[in-house]
Amino acid sequence: MFQAVVRSRTPVVRFLSPRAGVLLETVRGRKSRTDPKAKSKAGRIKTPSPVDPVEMVVLKERFTEYNLIMRALRMEFKEEMLRKRYEEETGSLAEERAKQESEEHRSLMAWNDAENLRLRKIRELRVQKEAEAAEQRTREEALLRQQEFERYIQEKEMEILQLQEEAKNFITLENLDERIEEALDNPKNYNFAVNKAGKTEKRTMLQ
Amino acid sequence: MPMKGRFPIRRTLDYLQRGEVVFKNSVKIMTVNYNTHGDLSEGARKFVFFSIPQIQYKNPWVQIMMFKNMTPSPFLRFYLDDGEQVLMDVEGKDYKEISEHIRKILGKSTKVLQAEALAKMEASNPANFGPKKYFLRECISEVEGQVPHPGLVPLPKEMTGKYRAKMASSSED
Repeated sequence: MFQAVVRSRTPVVRFLSPRAGVLLETVRGRKSRTDPKAKSKAGRIKTPSPVDPVEMVVLKERFTEYNLIMRALRMEFKEEMLRKRYEEETGSLAEERAKQESEEHRSLMAWNDAENLRLRKIRELRVQKEAEAAEQRTREEALLRQQEFERYIQEKEMEILQLQEEAKNFITLENLDERIEEALDNPKNYNFAVNKAGKTEKRTMLQ
Repeated sequence: MPMKGRFPIRRTLDYLQRGEVVFKNSVKIMTVNYNTHGDLSEGARKFVFFSIPQIQYKNPWVQIMMFKNMTPSPFLRFYLDDGEQVLMDVEGKDYKEISEHIRKILGKSTKVLQAEALAKMEASNPANFGPKKYFLRECISEVEGQVPHPGLVPLPKEMTGKYRAKMASSSED
């Protein structure tokens, strides 16, 4: 018998496990291991309570019968549970169900593959179109660049021609004397006023 | 305290519980590859933003991973427990379409879900008493309107066995 105080029974329900007695959590109570026994309990001899043998026999019989029945019932229920679980997992129905499920799975995967194929075709078309558009754009750009170059060349040619024309009027060492004479003969007057319309108004006299 | 984030409704229980995609038991991992820019990934982006929380809530044991800007086109990939990989192209699709597609190929159908819910209800009979972890109530005294537990509230004298026995013995005498 435990000397310590039995305080609380931890509430445990172990589903489908053998009940090996009740769990007791013994607690020391007020005194520690090293405390001596109380003086009032010094000469105490604990005797078990007297037992009536006839009653004991009757009780024992009844208890054995009761325990037998209870254990049998528990085993029955446990077995039923296990059988149900087994049937569900590896029974004939379960096999059919598994087969059906795999069939459905296969058909769904096939449908998924069809979808993927369809999307792939659309994507290929789109990629093709984009490639063509890019090609077109590069060609157009090359054309534009060519045109630009030609225009540039033409402009430069025009400039050259203009320069050639102006070169006729240049002052060179040969006609230097003539041009000087010419300039001295025709004095130009740059003193003039301009009105708002842009026409010249007054002219001062050259001195 | 205000709600956090851009669309905080995604964090509400109501929204999460409205998710319709419940994966079959064979699906273990889901991988989403999508791009952060581009018109074709728009549906995938919306899917990731709106539908993934619902899916993860309904399937807490499925690992969901997101990969960004790894491939030019977006897709989903499912890894089943027998090693099979299911590829799902989502280029140009709408996010609702994607959810529907997933539900069709790898989700539990409404019939199956209903059957499961029924089985769960049957298994949890409210008439059973026991530990709080498995059952609704431990003792009838926990129900409103019933006699409270004598450990908490002492019984009136007339209901105690002691008093009744005394009355019975005194009336006999």
